[in-house]
Amino acid sequence: MKRKNNKFNKRPQNPLNKLSLFQKSDSRFSKKCPLSGKDAPIIDYKNIKLLKRYVSDTDKIMPSRITSVSQNKQRKLTSEIKKAKILGLM
Amino acid sequence: MNFYEHTIIAKQDLSTPELNNIEKKYKDIITKTDGKVVKVEKWGLLSFAKKIKAYNKGFYIHYKFEAENKTLEEINKNSIIDNSLLRHLTVRYKKLDTETEYFKESNEKKK
Repeated sequence: MKRKNNKFNKRPQNPLNKLSLFQKSDSRFSKKCPLSGKDAPIIDYKNIKLLKRYVSDTDKIMPSRITSVSQNKQRKLTSEIKKAKILGLM
Repeated sequence: MNFYEHTIIAKQDLSTPELNNIEKKYKDIITKTDGKVVKVEKWGLLSFAKKIKAYNKGFYIHYKFEAENKTLEEINKNSIIDNSLLRHLTVRYKKLDTETEYFKESNEKKK
């Protein structure tokens, strides 16, 4: 168990301590998915306020590596956004 | 029997008695083919994000009903032929959510 937790307990390194420029930093932060959890908002094609947050200025669907939505919810999001676009709501 | 949601977009330049006729027409189709209408919502006149067939706005009518495959075919047939409609969409649900109405507030503000 101790080994698993070790990864997250590492302190962020000072960038000047690196040996080379191309070395990856150890301090990677991970966000939780905003659409899963206990009181998460409902993903639906009528709920346009929520869907508009996950669309760029030119009406493209944002990738999950930027919004940190989980893979399961991202699949749901894309299908609901496409339904809203058919009805001319977005 | 499954739960479905069906929304239709009618053209902007229709009069109110014509709109009521359209709403009644699809209600009758559902009830004639052994379906049950749970709820009908009128979202009113909304503006599109993009132009659809040279129209900027349209009347939205939203149905929530319980039916079998037979009624879906009838609805699809009629809404494709219908000249007063611009678009339509049917979605299947395991549970219907009749409480939350996403388009209610925007209607009241306009009035």
